[in-house]
Amino acid sequence: MNPDTLTWLILLLPLLSAATIVVGIGRWSNLSALVSTGTAFLSLVFSVMLATNGEAVASIAYPWIDLSPSFQVNIGFTLDKLALGMMLIVSSIGFLVHLFSLGYMRDDSGKSRYFAGLSLFLFSMSGIVLADNFVMMFIFWELVGVSSYILIGHWYEKNSAAEAGKKAFLVNRIGDFGFMTGILLVWILTGSIYFKEIAQAVGGVANAGLLNAAVLCVFAGAVGKSAQVPLHVWLPDAMEGPTPVSALIHAATMVAAGVYMLARVSFLVDASAVAGTTIAWVGAITALLAALMALQQDDIKRVLAYSTLSQLGYMVMAQGLGSAGADAGMFHLYTHAFFKALLFLGSGAVIYACHHEQDIWRMGGLRKRMPITFWTFALGTAALIAVPFTSGFWSKEAILEALLQQKMHGPYAVGIIVAFLTPFYMTRLVLVAFFGPSRTKEAEHAREVEPVMWIPLALLAVMAVFSAYRFLAAPLVAAGHADFGHFFSHFGLTATLSLVGLVGGVAGAWFLYRTAQKDPISIPLFRDKFRIDELYLFFVDKIQDGLARGLTRLDRDVIDPLIARFPAALSLAGGSVSRALQTGNVQTYAFLFGLGVVALLYFVL
Amino acid sequence: MQVYYLEFFVVALGLVMLMVDAFAKLQDKRSLARLGILGLGVVFLLLFAVQSPSNAASPVWKFYAAPDNLSLFFKGVALLTTILSLVMAIDFAPIVLSKIAPPDQGAHPQAGLGEFYSLPVFVCAGLMWMASANNLVSIFVSIEVVSITFIILAGYMRRNVGSLEAGVKYLILGALSAGFLVYGFAWLYGITGSMELGPITEALAKPGVNSTAAMFAFSLILVSLAFKLGAAPFHIWVPDVYQGAPTPITAFLSVGSKAGAAIVTLRLVYPYLTSPVLGTKALAILVVIAILTLLLGNLGALAQKNLKRLMGYSSVGHSGFLIMALASTSYPGAVNALSPVAVFAYYIGAYLLMTLLVFLVLNVLNAADTGETLDSIRGLAKRSPFLAGILLIALASLAGVPLTTGFIGKFLAFKIALDAGQWMLIAAALIGAAAGFYFYLKIAASMYLDAPSSSDGAAIPVNLLTKVSMVILAILILLTGIVPNVIVKLFS
Repeated sequence: MNPDTLTWLILLLPLLSAATIVVGIGRWSNLSALVSTGTAFLSLVFSVMLATNGEAVASIAYPWIDLSPSFQVNIGFTLDKLALGMMLIVSSIGFLVHLFSLGYMRDDSGKSRYFAGLSLFLFSMSGIVLADNFVMMFIFWELVGVSSYILIGHWYEKNSAAEAGKKAFLVNRIGDFGFMTGILLVWILTGSIYFKEIAQAVGGVANAGLLNAAVLCVFAGAVGKSAQVPLHVWLPDAMEGPTPVSALIHAATMVAAGVYMLARVSFLVDASAVAGTTIAWVGAITALLAALMALQQDDIKRVLAYSTLSQLGYMVMAQGLGSAGADAGMFHLYTHAFFKALLFLGSGAVIYACHHEQDIWRMGGLRKRMPITFWTFALGTAALIAVPFTSGFWSKEAILEALLQQKMHGPYAVGIIVAFLTPFYMTRLVLVAFFGPSRTKEAEHAREVEPVMWIPLALLAVMAVFSAYRFLAAPLVAAGHADFGHFFSHFGLTATLSLVGLVGGVAGAWFLYRTAQKDPISIPLFRDKFRIDELYLFFVDKIQDGLARGLTRLDRDVIDPLIARFPAALSLAGGSVSRALQTGNVQTYAFLFGLGVVALLYFVL
Repeated sequence: MQVYYLEFFVVALGLVMLMVDAFAKLQDKRSLARLGILGLGVVFLLLFAVQSPSNAASPVWKFYAAPDNLSLFFKGVALLTTILSLVMAIDFAPIVLSKIAPPDQGAHPQAGLGEFYSLPVFVCAGLMWMASANNLVSIFVSIEVVSITFIILAGYMRRNVGSLEAGVKYLILGALSAGFLVYGFAWLYGITGSMELGPITEALAKPGVNSTAAMFAFSLILVSLAFKLGAAPFHIWVPDVYQGAPTPITAFLSVGSKAGAAIVTLRLVYPYLTSPVLGTKALAILVVIAILTLLLGNLGALAQKNLKRLMGYSSVGHSGFLIMALASTSYPGAVNALSPVAVFAYYIGAYLLMTLLVFLVLNVLNAADTGETLDSIRGLAKRSPFLAGILLIALASLAGVPLTTGFIGKFLAFKIALDAGQWMLIAAALIGAAAGFYFYLKIAASMYLDAPSSSDGAAIPVNLLTKVSMVILAILILLTGIVPNVIVKLFS
């Protein structure tokens, strides 16, 4: 098939599946699940076919809003290596999550709704990846917001889940508002919404201040979606969703969208040094804060959530370098997608086996009872903490080296610190959950999960270790793969420091947690996530609500009478006049008719 | 296939239906309507088989325009409207039967119903002819074919005072307006010496044309067209007739008759607008009429309590938007990227979808004897979520909520008015659109937020054909709201 057809199919099949489930076959939940999984599989197959075709030029751009010559929005596709690679990541993780969900959500009462949500999510995500212009990207960006709201709040009868869905949506809206402003600014500055044209026009923009503002506004969108400080608060709460959703949203897709978008517009970051530095620092701060918070979490999924934040911080740091770091960032996004999906699905298997127990201090001893889950989880952890020659190791090195090369010493130092913290909290997690004696009855009765759930784990484990190697990475990412020659010939500061961090972190955690029955250290500030949520709550409660009350009064007492009630009264009066003409008497009508004719003739002649 | 065969087929279909009614012993005369729907559906498909004329010199083309996208589009509109009106008429049969004289001893229990189904087919033929008429005589004849049939249909329920009143009012005022039309035509012929639109256009563009006489003719013609379109100040008949006529006929009248009047207006007004001598003055009149119509129609609807009457005002308001599109034509020095004809046609198409959808729902409510006041649909969402959902889509579109076809229609109308620099028009249209939001969404709100007025909570039955029609229309409303180019591209 030609690239055009393939692309349209990749984009529209999940939509079709979602629509079919919602409109037609929703009452047969098993069929819905199969349809959704089937389309996810087809998406994967078509993505592979598209990627093996090589970089292609999509020729069909469907003109959607056509107000030529001033403005035209197409539904058009970019099929460069960046998009193709991302599409493969999205569709492969998407398919594995579908597969895993078949087991995990087997007895869920809202199964059809869940799978419709997954399909819609896949559709929205594909749209972001394939978009060749800002407007289309923004629309799908919002669709991702909607579908993540549906998925996170899937168990809406649980109050915390409903609240988490709402929170994710609202916090994202803040970022999206910035994103939209950024798009409009870029449009004003360059006169185009198409990435290709913007890339050409951006060099000619004279107003540097406005350009900085525009790029920062665009970055605000990424801050929301990729959960960077200060808009990171939604992601940990979003763990209320079903665990496969966490894997999908927080490993490979939604949070990666921000990073992907930054890579897509790296030419904008290049054009604005101020914005680049800001982006790198925001990433660094996120990486550090999230790692600190992860140290003290007890919920297995929350630890993973904070580690995701921290890793996203790495990727955003790299994007701050513009096109010099975009490839390294995407490389880490790509390896991270696999090992983080593995870790999330692994934690899902653990939670499933322990009858929905999420507190790691109420687990323990799972290593023997769930050997496959344990070993795959261990491999995922190894990749996350960057054990040499696993995938995560190569990509993290790439980011750190890029930072060093571009003389971003501050973020570089933060990156090294985080490289020590990550092994510490992950080793803590594995030791507490999998080693030692079982601490509760649930953990004692845990059994290995069924094949439909462990097969995705095994597949992902293979990817977690080997995805960085050339035979897997070459077709998938634009640049970056494991390079032994380069590693040994340039063995220097970065490698030494990160190895020291790794050994130190693992050893520290081993020493503290090997036999611990409860947490030996307690740092309330980290446990309470630096009280940022409380701060926001205070802000919303006191300042925003106060402002809102004031504005309400203004609205009710001044604006309403002036803008609404007066014209309303006037219109109703007008309505009565026009009604008064309606006497119902046909003679009157004929008379009025004649009057109209006379008036018209008088007017004309 | 030659384009004029289409009308032959439709007339033949009407005759066949009359014959079947007279001679075949039908148990249930509603089958006649189904026959009509089927036949018109076939003719609709034939629209796509129309070829450009082989013999351009034939005298036929002196009173019948060669096919173009515009005339074919309006023929399609006429066919679809008739089909959907017949769908409604099937549901409406019991009410019609109860409001006409009871059959004599031994006669068919549904006597008198056959004509109710056959007459709309003849109207349809007339409307299709209007879309192609390019000669003053053929324009007049086709308009009268439609009007006279509508008089019968509006007063069809002769045991019902409202219906009779509607018929009489439409008869008297229609006759009045027809008189103006003929008088205007006579003047136009006197000035230009031709009955054909082509030569008339040329004659009016000549610098030496007698401007006073020409504008006199224009005024007379415009009065009549404004009457048919329901444009102010000649709209007074609209609410009364809409309220009184049988609901399917109201729907047919509000869409079919307006579409026909719209295409004729387009053909008759264009020669004036493009004339360098008369253009500015003709445009000024159109602007005044558009402003009046936008304001009177939309503001008048604010206080209405009866749904059919409200739809009457709504119809007047939408005429305002149509004339606004027309009045944004060829303003000297204006560069329009959009063709006003495209906007005009798009608006009619959008209006068809949403208005007929509202009437489909109203018709079902009528047939279920729920009443047609605003109170009667309070809490409808609890009683019949399907009907409420469908009506919600239609109302959102009428109000102009984005992602519906009504929004695109309004958007395009505003856009070309903006391009043409018609600020007064835009101001009036803004007021009209704002009022529209209020009175359309008030209905939607009362459906969803208020408690049902009666304790009768049973769902209202909807038969399959009606249900399918509703769903198709709703989908089309959303689809053309999202991808408007399907229609816009037809005319550019």
